[in-house]
Amino acid sequence: MVSDAGQLYTMEGVAAGIIMLLTAYIVVSTTSIYTTGDTHIPDMQLEQLGSDVLAMMDTPNSVGGKNQLVEFVNENSGNDFKETFLKYCNARTSGDDDNLHMSANVTYRDVSHGNEIKEHQFVKPPNDGSWTGRESAVRVTRWVQLDYQNPPSRDPYGSRAQAVLVEVLLWRA
Amino acid sequence: MLSLDFLAGFTIFLLALIMVVSMVPGLLAGLQSSGIDYDAVAYRTGVILVEDPGWPVNPPWEQYGRDHKDEIQRMGLAVSKDTPNILLSTKVERFFENASTEDPFFTEDDYHNKVIFGDYPYSYNISLSSGNDLWQTGDPLPPGYGYIRRVVKIKEPSVAEINESISSAYTIDPSAPEWQNSTARNFTVRLDFGHLLDPTVSPAYRIDPRIEPVNVTITNFDAYLNNTYDSATLKSVTFQKAEPDSPPVPLRWLSYSEEEPDLYTLHLDEDSHSLTPNEPVNSSISLVLKPAFMTFMGPNSILDIRFNFEEEEDEPPHTNIAGTFPYNYDNVNSPPLKTGVLEVAIW
Repeated sequence: MVSDAGQLYTMEGVAAGIIMLLTAYIVVSTTSIYTTGDTHIPDMQLEQLGSDVLAMMDTPNSVGGKNQLVEFVNENSGNDFKETFLKYCNARTSGDDDNLHMSANVTYRDVSHGNEIKEHQFVKPPNDGSWTGRESAVRVTRWVQLDYQNPPSRDPYGSRAQAVLVEVLLWRA
Repeated sequence: MLSLDFLAGFTIFLLALIMVVSMVPGLLAGLQSSGIDYDAVAYRTGVILVEDPGWPVNPPWEQYGRDHKDEIQRMGLAVSKDTPNILLSTKVERFFENASTEDPFFTEDDYHNKVIFGDYPYSYNISLSSGNDLWQTGDPLPPGYGYIRRVVKIKEPSVAEINESISSAYTIDPSAPEWQNSTARNFTVRLDFGHLLDPTVSPAYRIDPRIEPVNVTITNFDAYLNNTYDSATLKSVTFQKAEPDSPPVPLRWLSYSEEEPDLYTLHLDEDSHSLTPNEPVNSSISLVLKPAFMTFMGPNSILDIRFNFEEEEDEPPHTNIAGTFPYNYDNVNSPPLKTGVLEVAIW
């Protein structure tokens, strides 16, 4: 004979089993495997690559040779800077080149206009519609020492010797 | 006494519990992303290769032969620890030596123990390209792997090219009284280590014969010949080492009569010879001294490389070359640094 209490035991067992299985299922299906540690890896790779490229552009190829980074900033030639930067960034040892994009700003102190800290857009973001402003970009920077330059002064930094901060935003399309 | 119902309920509960417990490791396995580990190992390997000169430093690891390569602790490719991303071509050549052949200089275990590290036997693919040059070691890439890419510059050894344009400075007038009774001609190349290892010159541009080969090439040798002859005999190449406070002493420890490619190479008109060739030459002389040759040189030593031209008895000298050519920053061609890309893949 089966008593009411016995049926209760069975139902409790079934209910507890279902609850446990359901809980485990919900936990497994809702836990994000993409941990915070993972998100930093592609960023770290891009940051390392970007700072390598800036460092190498800042290294002359011979004693007394030209320093590409200083030269591009001095002459305000953003297009040449972009071309060289992306050439180094996208190069691979084999297979197709990578597809990285960039924009750049130069931060400097404007002595002739009240000693303000100003930002000069060195390389504009691409205007082919691919730039949305929501790209997952990384930021790499390098201080560049500009020497005194005889007038006419270079635009927009003026002729005085100064250190300016080159800031590059780099993202994967 | 337990009722049958309680037993059935408890069994269902236990079965469910066992199922849940068995799901837990799977749950943790999902959180343990192996990709993170591979990327970190690739990053670490990239840092060792690009920012570290390796260990030992003196003598540098790339000079260890096959018999002594077990003494290498770490293989880094940087010129020095102060010049990250500037790689030394001699280290690069040794690191990738015969890598794609049946008999590579470094085995898979060497790469694991001296550059990748870690207990796990990772698979790897390390490649470096610069211009048209490509060096590679490791297995083909699988679909998923840890990865890092570094932009580098490669420093190549300097070459002293003694060509026709400077021939007048090293050509004597055989009719001058001081040369009339002379039967031999000595042309000396002088390496002043105190000058070459000038600490104010960045290691990225420094000429350091202790880590890079010294290359002395005399081209257009016919410009130095005495007009009536079409060749001159190079009897021997000898060496003298001097210290600032002691007189020069000849280096006799070297076996002059046997070719020793690990220490030097000597080519006369493209043909390989020992240091006592006693052979006629009419177009070019090329001497390369390997870093292993410089083991006994101190930071202030002066090394004289003497090319001794002498003919058979009673024969007047066939060449008018003489003098001392200083191997220094003004006279030597230092090739510009070459930009390259290093990729490390680990899985």
